[in-house]
Amino acid sequence: MAEIYKLIHPVKYFNDYISRNVRPDGRQFHEHRNIKLNVNSIKASEASGVVKCGNTTVICGIKLELATPKAEEPDSGFLVTNVELLPLCSSKFRPGPPSDYAQVVSNIVTDIVMNSECINLKDLCIVYDKLAWVLYCDIVCIDNDGGLIDACVMALISSLKTLTLPNVTYDPETEDIKVDITKRSPLKVNGLPVATSFAIFPFFEKSILLTDPSAYEEDMCGGNGANLIVCWNKGFLCGTQKFGGSTLSMEDEKQALKIAKQRTKLVEKLIETCIDNESK
Amino acid sequence: MGVEVDTKEFKLKPMKCEFNFLSKSDGSAILSQGETVTLVSVNGPLDIKMQSQSIEKSTLEVLFCTKGGKPSVADRYKESIIKQTCETAILGSLYPRSGITVTIQELEDYGGLLSCALNCTCLALLNSGLAMRFVFAAVSCAVDELGNIVLEPTQEQATSARALLNFVFESRNKNLLTGFSEGSYSESAYEEALERCRAASDLVFTFYRDIISKYSNVI
Repeated sequence: MAEIYKLIHPVKYFNDYISRNVRPDGRQFHEHRNIKLNVNSIKASEASGVVKCGNTTVICGIKLELATPKAEEPDSGFLVTNVELLPLCSSKFRPGPPSDYAQVVSNIVTDIVMNSECINLKDLCIVYDKLAWVLYCDIVCIDNDGGLIDACVMALISSLKTLTLPNVTYDPETEDIKVDITKRSPLKVNGLPVATSFAIFPFFEKSILLTDPSAYEEDMCGGNGANLIVCWNKGFLCGTQKFGGSTLSMEDEKQALKIAKQRTKLVEKLIETCIDNESK
Repeated sequence: MGVEVDTKEFKLKPMKCEFNFLSKSDGSAILSQGETVTLVSVNGPLDIKMQSQSIEKSTLEVLFCTKGGKPSVADRYKESIIKQTCETAILGSLYPRSGITVTIQELEDYGGLLSCALNCTCLALLNSGLAMRFVFAAVSCAVDELGNIVLEPTQEQATSARALLNFVFESRNKNLLTGFSEGSYSESAYEEALERCRAASDLVFTFYRDIISKYSNVI
Protein backbone atom coordinates (compact mmCIF):
# COMPACT_ATOMS: atom_id res chain seq x y z
CA MET A 1 0.00 0.00 0.00
CA ALA A 2 2.73 2.40 1.01
CA GLU A 3 4.52 1.66 -2.27
CA ILE A 4 1.45 2.66 -4.30
CA TYR A 5 0.98 5.80 -2.22
CA LYS A 6 4.64 6.69 -2.85
CA LEU A 7 4.10 6.38 -6.62
CA ILE A 8 0.87 8.36 -6.79
CA HIS A 9 1.74 11.16 -4.35
CA PRO A 10 5.55 11.22 -4.17
CA VAL A 11 5.80 14.66 -2.55
CA LYS A 12 2.98 14.11 -0.07
CA TYR A 13 4.45 10.73 0.89
CA PHE A 14 7.77 12.36 1.70
CA ASN A 15 6.14 15.33 3.46
CA ASP A 16 4.16 12.97 5.70
CA TYR A 17 7.36 11.43 6.98
CA ILE A 18 9.12 14.77 7.46
CA SER A 19 6.17 16.24 9.38
CA ARG A 20 6.52 13.34 11.84
CA ASN A 21 10.23 14.09 12.29
CA VAL A 22 11.40 10.88 10.70
CA ARG A 23 12.84 9.95 7.33
CA PRO A 24 11.35 7.27 5.03
CA ASP A 25 14.14 4.82 5.94
CA GLY A 26 13.44 5.25 9.67
CA ARG A 27 16.41 7.49 10.47
CA GLN A 28 16.29 10.75 12.42
CA PHE A 29 17.13 13.94 10.46
CA HIS A 30 20.72 14.05 11.66
CA GLU A 31 21.42 10.36 11.83
CA HIS A 32 23.91 9.01 9.33
CA ARG A 33 24.04 5.52 7.95
CA ASN A 34 26.34 2.74 9.10
CA ILE A 35 29.80 2.90 7.58
CA LYS A 36 31.87 -0.14 6.70
CA LEU A 37 35.46 0.17 5.61
CA ASN A 38 38.03 -2.32 4.41
CA VAL A 39 41.55 -1.53 3.26
CA ASN A 40 43.93 -3.46 1.00
CA SER A 41 41.11 -5.46 -0.53
CA ILE A 42 42.55 -5.48 -4.07
CA LYS A 43 45.87 -7.28 -3.97
CA ALA A 44 46.79 -6.30 -7.54
CA SER A 45 46.86 -2.59 -6.74
CA GLU A 46 49.43 -0.78 -4.59
CA ALA A 47 46.78 0.36 -2.13
CA SER A 48 43.03 0.09 -2.05
CA GLY A 49 39.95 0.65 0.03
CA VAL A 50 36.30 -0.32 -0.05
CA VAL A 51 33.69 1.84 1.67
CA LYS A 52 30.07 1.11 2.32
CA CYS A 53 27.85 3.90 3.67
CA GLY A 54 24.46 2.28 3.96
CA ASN A 55 23.95 0.91 0.44
CA THR A 56 26.42 3.24 -1.26
CA THR A 57 29.48 1.21 -2.17
CA VAL A 58 32.67 2.73 -3.51
CA ILE A 59 35.98 1.07 -4.25
CA CYS A 60 39.29 2.85 -4.73
CA GLY A 61 42.54 1.48 -6.10
CA ILE A 62 45.88 3.23 -6.46
CA LYS A 63 48.35 2.48 -9.21
CA LEU A 64 51.91 3.84 -9.26
CA GLU A 65 53.87 5.03 -12.22
CA LEU A 66 57.11 6.93 -12.77
CA ALA A 67 57.20 10.06 -14.92
CA THR A 68 59.17 13.25 -15.52
CA PRO A 69 57.77 16.23 -13.60
CA LYS A 70 56.13 19.11 -15.42
CA ALA A 71 58.52 21.85 -16.55
CA GLU A 72 56.54 24.48 -14.60
CA GLU A 73 56.76 22.47 -11.36
CA PRO A 74 59.98 20.45 -11.56
CA ASP A 75 59.82 19.53 -7.86
CA SER A 76 56.29 18.08 -7.80
CA GLY A 77 54.78 14.71 -8.54
CA PHE A 78 51.26 13.98 -9.71
CA LEU A 79 48.08 12.88 -8.02
CA VAL A 80 45.45 11.91 -10.56
CA THR A 81 42.02 11.11 -9.18
CA ASN A 82 39.18 9.85 -11.27
CA VAL A 83 35.67 8.82 -10.28
CA GLU A 84 33.79 6.40 -12.49
CA LEU A 85 30.04 6.03 -12.34
CA LEU A 86 29.21 2.88 -14.27
CA PRO A 87 25.71 1.84 -15.36
CA LEU A 88 26.04 -0.82 -12.66
CA CYS A 89 25.65 1.67 -9.82
CA SER A 90 22.42 3.39 -10.79
CA SER A 91 19.81 3.47 -13.53
CA LYS A 92 20.68 7.13 -14.11
CA PHE A 93 23.94 6.31 -15.83
CA ARG A 94 24.40 4.94 -19.32
CA PRO A 95 27.43 3.19 -20.76
CA GLY A 96 29.81 5.33 -22.78
CA PRO A 97 32.01 8.32 -22.07
CA PRO A 98 31.82 9.76 -18.50
CA SER A 99 28.60 11.68 -17.91
CA ASP A 100 28.58 15.34 -16.85
CA TYR A 101 27.74 14.28 -13.32
CA ALA A 102 30.68 11.87 -13.17
CA GLN A 103 32.98 14.69 -14.26
CA VAL A 104 31.54 17.00 -11.62
CA VAL A 105 32.00 14.39 -8.88
CA SER A 106 35.56 13.75 -10.07
CA ASN A 107 36.28 17.46 -9.94
CA ILE A 108 34.84 17.88 -6.43
CA VAL A 109 36.81 14.92 -5.05
CA THR A 110 40.05 16.20 -6.62
CA ASP A 111 39.36 19.69 -5.25
CA ILE A 112 38.78 18.38 -1.73
CA VAL A 113 42.03 16.43 -1.70
CA MET A 114 44.01 19.31 -3.22
CA ASN A 115 42.46 22.00 -0.99
CA SER A 116 43.03 20.02 2.19
CA GLU A 117 46.73 19.80 1.30
CA CYS A 118 46.82 16.34 2.83
CA ILE A 119 49.28 15.18 0.20
CA ASN A 120 52.27 17.36 -0.47
CA LEU A 121 53.02 16.85 -4.15
CA LYS A 122 56.66 17.69 -3.44
CA ASP A 123 56.90 14.42 -1.46
CA LEU A 124 56.20 12.57 -4.69
CA CYS A 125 59.26 13.97 -6.44
CA ILE A 126 62.24 11.60 -6.50
CA VAL A 127 64.85 13.51 -8.52
CA TYR A 128 64.41 17.21 -9.28
CA ASP A 129 63.21 17.76 -12.85
CA LYS A 130 63.95 14.12 -13.74
CA LEU A 131 61.77 11.66 -11.88
CA ALA A 132 58.56 11.75 -9.88
CA TRP A 133 55.75 9.44 -8.82
CA VAL A 134 52.35 9.52 -10.46
CA LEU A 135 49.55 8.23 -8.24
CA TYR A 136 46.62 7.09 -10.32
CA CYS A 137 43.70 6.90 -7.92
CA ASP A 138 40.75 5.23 -9.60
CA ILE A 139 37.50 5.35 -7.70
CA VAL A 140 34.65 3.21 -8.96
CA CYS A 141 31.15 3.43 -7.63
CA ILE A 142 29.51 0.03 -7.39
CA ASP A 143 26.23 1.07 -5.83
CA ASN A 144 25.07 4.69 -5.74
CA ASP A 145 22.57 5.34 -2.98
CA GLY A 146 23.40 8.95 -2.15
CA GLY A 147 26.25 10.55 -0.21
CA LEU A 148 28.60 9.65 -3.04
CA ILE A 149 31.25 12.31 -2.35
CA ASP A 150 31.59 11.23 1.30
CA ALA A 151 32.22 7.65 0.30
CA CYS A 152 34.64 8.60 -2.50
CA VAL A 153 36.73 10.83 -0.24
CA MET A 154 36.77 8.20 2.50
CA ALA A 155 37.85 5.43 0.11
CA LEU A 156 40.52 7.64 -1.40
CA ILE A 157 41.98 8.83 1.89
CA SER A 158 42.05 5.39 3.50
CA SER A 159 43.84 4.05 0.41
CA LEU A 160 46.36 6.90 0.46
CA LYS A 161 46.95 6.26 4.15
CA THR A 162 47.96 2.66 3.48
CA LEU A 163 50.04 3.43 0.39
CA THR A 164 53.75 2.64 0.52
CA LEU A 165 56.17 3.85 -2.13
CA PRO A 166 59.00 1.55 -3.24
CA ASN A 167 62.55 2.82 -3.01
CA VAL A 168 63.92 4.17 -6.27
CA THR A 169 67.56 4.74 -7.11
CA TYR A 170 68.41 6.97 -10.01
CA ASP A 171 71.79 7.18 -11.66
CA PRO A 172 72.16 10.73 -13.03
CA GLU A 173 74.93 9.73 -15.48
CA THR A 174 73.42 6.69 -17.12
CA GLU A 175 69.83 7.81 -16.33
CA ASP A 176 69.29 4.29 -15.11
CA ILE A 177 66.28 3.74 -12.82
CA LYS A 178 66.19 0.91 -10.29
CA VAL A 179 63.06 0.16 -8.32
CA ASP A 180 63.38 -1.93 -5.19
CA ILE A 181 59.90 -3.17 -4.36
CA THR A 182 61.03 -4.97 -1.21
CA LYS A 183 62.03 -1.72 0.50
CA ARG A 184 59.07 0.57 0.90
CA SER A 185 58.37 3.77 2.74
CA PRO A 186 54.88 5.02 3.62
CA LEU A 187 53.49 8.12 1.95
CA LYS A 188 53.12 11.11 4.24
CA VAL A 189 49.46 12.01 4.65
CA ASN A 190 48.86 15.28 6.41
CA GLY A 191 45.55 15.10 8.26
CA LEU A 192 42.40 13.28 7.24
CA PRO A 193 39.90 15.22 5.15
CA VAL A 194 36.36 13.94 5.64
CA ALA A 195 33.37 15.12 3.64
CA THR A 196 29.81 15.12 4.95
CA SER A 197 26.81 15.48 2.66
CA PHE A 198 23.47 17.01 3.44
CA ALA A 199 20.25 17.31 1.51
CA ILE A 200 18.12 20.37 2.16
CA PHE A 201 14.40 19.82 1.93
CA PRO A 202 12.02 22.80 1.72
CA PHE A 203 9.28 22.11 4.25
CA PHE A 204 6.77 24.96 4.26
CA GLU A 205 8.78 28.05 5.23
CA LYS A 206 11.59 26.07 6.83
CA SER A 207 14.50 24.15 5.39
CA ILE A 208 15.14 20.70 6.80
CA LEU A 209 18.69 19.40 6.84
CA LEU A 210 19.02 15.70 6.15
CA THR A 211 22.44 14.29 7.03
CA ASP A 212 23.96 11.62 4.76
CA PRO A 213 21.00 11.48 2.34
CA SER A 214 20.04 8.41 0.35
CA ALA A 215 19.60 8.68 -3.43
CA TYR A 216 15.83 8.88 -2.99
CA GLU A 217 16.15 11.79 -0.55
CA GLU A 218 18.58 13.57 -2.87
CA ASP A 219 16.04 13.27 -5.69
CA MET A 220 13.23 14.62 -3.53
CA CYS A 221 15.28 17.65 -2.50
CA GLY A 222 16.03 18.57 -6.09
CA GLY A 223 19.40 19.30 -7.58
CA ASN A 224 21.94 16.80 -8.75
CA GLY A 225 23.31 14.74 -5.86
CA ALA A 226 23.69 16.17 -2.37
CA ASN A 227 22.90 19.84 -1.79
CA LEU A 228 25.55 20.69 0.77
CA ILE A 229 28.96 19.14 1.20
CA VAL A 230 31.09 20.20 4.16
CA CYS A 231 34.65 19.01 4.39
CA TRP A 232 36.81 19.24 7.51
CA ASN A 233 40.50 18.52 7.87
CA LYS A 234 42.38 19.03 11.15
CA GLY A 235 39.92 21.61 12.46
CA PHE A 236 39.94 23.60 9.22
CA LEU A 237 37.33 23.66 6.52
CA CYS A 238 38.68 22.53 3.17
CA GLY A 239 35.57 22.84 1.08
CA THR A 240 31.97 23.90 1.55
CA GLN A 241 29.88 23.31 -1.52
CA LYS A 242 26.23 24.16 -1.77
CA PHE A 243 24.30 23.43 -4.94
CA GLY A 244 20.61 23.50 -5.66
CA GLY A 245 17.93 22.36 -3.26
CA SER A 246 16.32 24.74 -0.84
CA THR A 247 18.11 27.86 0.38
CA LEU A 248 20.15 27.77 3.54
CA SER A 249 19.71 30.13 6.49
CA MET A 250 22.44 31.12 8.92
CA GLU A 251 21.30 28.81 11.74
CA ASP A 252 21.08 25.80 9.44
CA GLU A 253 24.53 26.59 8.13
CA LYS A 254 26.00 26.62 11.64
CA GLN A 255 24.21 23.40 12.50
CA ALA A 256 25.50 21.70 9.37
CA LEU A 257 29.08 22.67 10.23
CA LYS A 258 28.63 21.27 13.73
CA ILE A 259 27.15 17.97 12.57
CA ALA A 260 29.89 17.61 9.99
CA LYS A 261 32.53 18.21 12.67
CA GLN A 262 31.11 15.45 14.86
CA ARG A 263 30.86 13.03 11.98
CA THR A 264 34.44 13.87 10.94
CA LYS A 265 35.71 12.76 14.36
CA LEU A 266 33.84 9.48 14.05
CA VAL A 267 35.07 8.79 10.52
CA GLU A 268 38.67 9.65 11.50
CA LYS A 269 38.45 7.13 14.30
CA LEU A 270 36.97 4.55 11.96
CA ILE A 271 39.73 4.94 9.36
CA GLU A 272 42.47 4.79 11.98
CA THR A 273 41.01 1.71 13.67
CA CYS A 274 40.59 -0.01 10.33
CA ILE A 275 44.18 0.67 9.28
CA ASP A 276 45.52 -0.39 12.70
CA ASN A 277 43.64 -3.69 12.52
CA GLU A 278 44.88 -4.31 9.00
CA SER A 279 48.55 -3.78 9.88
CA LYS A 280 48.40 -6.16 12.85
CA MET B 1 18.78 52.14 0.19
CA GLY B 2 17.58 51.51 3.71
CA VAL B 3 20.64 49.75 5.07
CA GLU B 4 23.63 51.91 5.66
CA VAL B 5 26.67 50.29 4.18
CA ASP B 6 30.16 51.52 4.75
CA THR B 7 31.05 52.02 1.12
CA LYS B 8 34.77 51.80 1.75
CA GLU B 9 34.43 48.47 3.53
CA PHE B 10 32.08 46.96 1.00
CA LYS B 11 33.47 48.21 -2.22
CA LEU B 12 32.89 45.88 -5.12
CA LYS B 13 34.59 46.11 -8.47
CA PRO B 14 32.89 48.59 -10.80
CA MET B 15 30.13 46.87 -12.76
CA LYS B 16 28.96 47.74 -16.23
CA CYS B 17 26.16 46.03 -18.06
CA GLU B 18 24.42 46.16 -21.40
CA PHE B 19 21.19 44.34 -22.28
CA ASN B 20 20.15 43.01 -25.70
CA PHE B 21 23.74 42.74 -26.79
CA LEU B 22 22.79 39.87 -29.11
CA SER B 23 19.95 40.48 -31.54
CA LYS B 24 18.73 36.91 -32.09
CA SER B 25 18.45 35.56 -28.56
CA ASP B 26 15.43 35.93 -26.27
CA GLY B 27 17.53 37.57 -23.62
CA SER B 28 21.16 38.57 -23.50
CA ALA B 29 23.45 40.58 -21.30
CA ILE B 30 27.10 41.52 -21.26
CA LEU B 31 28.55 42.30 -17.87
CA SER B 32 31.95 43.51 -16.76
CA GLN B 33 33.04 43.35 -13.15
CA GLY B 34 36.34 45.12 -12.97
CA GLU B 35 38.22 43.72 -15.94
CA THR B 36 36.41 40.38 -16.05
CA VAL B 37 33.83 40.27 -18.83
CA THR B 38 31.21 37.66 -19.70
CA LEU B 39 28.43 37.48 -22.25
CA VAL B 40 25.30 35.41 -21.64
CA SER B 41 22.51 34.50 -24.01
CA VAL B 42 19.24 32.96 -22.87
CA ASN B 43 16.83 31.21 -25.22
CA GLY B 44 13.57 29.72 -24.19
CA PRO B 45 11.12 28.27 -23.71
CA LEU B 46 11.82 26.28 -26.87
CA ASP B 47 11.03 22.92 -28.43
CA ILE B 48 13.34 20.11 -27.43
CA LYS B 49 13.82 16.43 -28.16
CA MET B 50 11.13 14.10 -26.84
CA GLN B 51 13.49 12.12 -24.60
CA SER B 52 14.79 15.17 -22.74
CA GLN B 53 11.34 16.65 -22.11
CA SER B 54 10.03 16.67 -18.58
CA ILE B 55 6.32 16.81 -17.84
CA GLU B 56 6.88 18.61 -14.56
CA LYS B 57 9.18 21.45 -15.49
CA SER B 58 11.32 22.93 -18.22
CA THR B 59 14.65 21.30 -19.03
CA LEU B 60 17.52 23.64 -18.45
CA GLU B 61 20.66 23.40 -20.51
CA VAL B 62 23.74 25.39 -19.62
CA LEU B 63 26.75 25.73 -21.86
CA PHE B 64 29.92 27.37 -20.66
CA CYS B 65 32.37 28.40 -23.40
CA THR B 66 35.86 29.38 -22.38
CA LYS B 67 37.95 31.90 -24.25
CA GLY B 68 40.23 29.11 -25.51
CA GLY B 69 37.24 27.09 -26.65
CA LYS B 70 38.61 23.77 -25.43
CA PRO B 71 36.17 21.96 -23.14
CA SER B 72 37.52 20.53 -19.87
CA VAL B 73 36.34 18.78 -16.72
CA ALA B 74 36.54 22.07 -14.79
CA ASP B 75 34.07 23.64 -17.23
CA ARG B 76 31.55 20.86 -16.55
CA TYR B 77 31.84 21.77 -12.88
CA LYS B 78 31.19 25.45 -13.61
CA GLU B 79 28.23 24.52 -15.79
CA SER B 80 26.84 22.38 -13.01
CA ILE B 81 27.12 25.26 -10.51
CA ILE B 82 25.36 27.70 -12.86
CA LYS B 83 22.75 25.14 -13.86
CA GLN B 84 21.77 24.24 -10.32
CA THR B 85 21.61 27.90 -9.34
CA CYS B 86 19.36 28.75 -12.29
CA GLU B 87 17.21 25.69 -11.71
CA THR B 88 16.24 26.94 -8.25
CA ALA B 89 15.75 30.52 -9.46
CA ILE B 90 13.64 29.87 -12.58
CA LEU B 91 10.01 28.91 -12.10
CA GLY B 92 10.43 25.92 -14.38
CA SER B 93 7.03 24.45 -13.60
CA LEU B 94 5.44 27.20 -15.70
CA TYR B 95 7.14 25.87 -18.83
CA PRO B 96 6.63 22.09 -18.86
CA ARG B 97 7.84 20.00 -21.84
CA SER B 98 10.05 22.80 -23.07
CA GLY B 99 13.69 23.71 -22.88
CA ILE B 100 15.62 26.73 -21.76
CA THR B 101 19.19 27.16 -22.91
CA VAL B 102 21.72 29.41 -21.25
CA THR B 103 25.00 30.01 -23.06
CA ILE B 104 27.84 31.72 -21.28
CA GLN B 105 30.84 33.04 -23.16
CA GLU B 106 33.93 34.07 -21.25
CA LEU B 107 35.42 37.19 -22.81
CA GLU B 108 38.05 38.32 -20.30
CA ASP B 109 39.14 36.63 -17.09
CA TYR B 110 40.96 38.75 -14.51
CA GLY B 111 39.71 36.85 -11.46
CA GLY B 112 36.17 36.22 -10.23
CA LEU B 113 35.05 34.76 -13.55
CA LEU B 114 32.41 32.47 -12.13
CA SER B 115 30.73 35.10 -9.95
CA CYS B 116 30.70 37.47 -12.93
CA ALA B 117 29.17 34.69 -15.07
CA LEU B 118 26.49 34.04 -12.45
CA ASN B 119 25.54 37.71 -12.16
CA CYS B 120 25.50 38.06 -15.92
CA THR B 121 23.27 34.97 -16.20
CA CYS B 122 20.83 36.52 -13.75
CA LEU B 123 20.71 39.73 -15.77
CA ALA B 124 20.20 37.82 -19.02
CA LEU B 125 17.36 35.84 -17.41
CA LEU B 126 15.74 39.10 -16.30
CA ASN B 127 16.13 40.43 -19.81
CA SER B 128 14.56 37.30 -21.35
CA GLY B 129 11.43 37.74 -19.26
CA LEU B 130 11.34 34.18 -17.90
CA ALA B 131 9.41 33.83 -14.65
CA MET B 132 11.72 33.60 -11.67
CA ARG B 133 11.29 32.90 -7.96
CA PHE B 134 13.94 35.46 -7.06
CA VAL B 135 17.00 37.09 -8.51
CA PHE B 136 20.43 36.06 -7.28
CA ALA B 137 23.73 37.80 -6.72
CA ALA B 138 27.17 36.21 -6.58
CA VAL B 139 29.92 37.73 -4.45
CA SER B 140 33.42 36.34 -4.08
CA CYS B 141 36.00 36.96 -1.41
CA ALA B 142 39.50 35.82 -0.52
CA VAL B 143 41.01 34.86 2.83
CA ASP B 144 44.66 35.92 2.97
CA GLU B 145 47.54 34.41 5.00
CA LEU B 146 46.67 36.46 8.10
CA GLY B 147 43.02 35.45 7.99
CA ASN B 148 41.81 38.81 6.70
CA ILE B 149 38.91 38.84 4.30
CA VAL B 150 39.17 40.70 1.02
CA LEU B 151 35.98 41.23 -0.95
CA GLU B 152 36.19 40.80 -4.73
CA PRO B 153 39.93 40.16 -4.81
CA THR B 154 42.12 41.25 -7.67
CA GLN B 155 43.95 38.55 -9.56
CA GLU B 156 47.18 39.02 -7.55
CA GLN B 157 45.24 38.89 -4.27
CA ALA B 158 43.43 35.77 -5.43
CA THR B 159 46.58 33.88 -6.37
CA SER B 160 48.35 34.69 -3.09
CA ALA B 161 45.28 33.98 -0.96
CA ARG B 162 44.90 30.95 1.31
CA ALA B 163 41.33 30.43 0.25
CA LEU B 164 38.77 31.76 -2.18
CA LEU B 165 35.12 31.66 -1.19
CA ASN B 166 32.17 32.29 -3.47
CA PHE B 167 28.60 32.78 -2.37
CA VAL B 168 25.36 33.28 -4.23
CA PHE B 169 22.42 34.81 -2.35
CA GLU B 170 18.78 35.06 -3.28
CA SER B 171 17.05 38.42 -3.14
CA ARG B 172 14.11 37.63 -0.85
CA ASN B 173 15.62 36.59 2.49
CA LYS B 174 19.30 36.86 1.52
CA ASN B 175 19.66 33.15 2.18
CA LEU B 176 22.53 31.18 0.74
CA LEU B 177 21.62 29.67 -2.62
CA THR B 178 24.94 28.37 -3.85
CA GLY B 179 28.40 28.33 -2.37
CA PHE B 180 31.76 26.93 -3.39
CA SER B 181 35.28 27.33 -2.15
CA GLU B 182 38.94 26.72 -2.86
CA GLY B 183 41.70 26.28 -0.30
CA SER B 184 41.37 25.71 3.44
CA TYR B 185 40.14 28.17 6.05
CA SER B 186 38.92 28.32 9.63
CA GLU B 187 35.28 28.21 10.68
CA SER B 188 35.35 31.79 11.97
CA ALA B 189 36.82 33.06 8.68
CA TYR B 190 34.09 31.23 6.82
CA GLU B 191 31.33 32.75 8.91
CA GLU B 192 32.77 36.24 8.68
CA ALA B 193 33.20 35.91 4.92
CA LEU B 194 29.63 34.72 4.58
CA GLU B 195 28.27 37.71 6.47
CA ARG B 196 30.44 40.22 4.62
CA CYS B 197 29.38 38.78 1.28
CA ARG B 198 25.74 38.74 2.36
CA ALA B 199 25.95 42.46 3.14
CA ALA B 200 27.81 43.15 -0.10
CA SER B 201 25.17 41.31 -2.14
CA ASP B 202 22.91 44.33 -1.49
CA LEU B 203 25.13 46.38 -3.77
CA VAL B 204 24.66 43.85 -6.57
CA PHE B 205 20.88 43.85 -6.12
CA THR B 206 20.87 47.65 -6.22
CA PHE B 207 22.88 47.49 -9.41
CA TYR B 208 20.32 45.09 -10.94
CA ARG B 209 17.54 47.52 -10.03
CA ASP B 210 19.39 50.45 -11.62
CA ILE B 211 19.99 48.53 -14.84
CA ILE B 212 16.37 47.38 -15.09
CA SER B 213 15.02 50.88 -14.51
CA LYS B 214 17.40 52.18 -17.16
CA TYR B 215 16.10 49.73 -19.76
CA SER B 216 12.39 49.68 -18.95
CA ASN B 217 10.64 52.93 -19.73
CA VAL B 218 7.29 51.98 -18.21
CA ILE B 219 8.40 51.61 -14.61
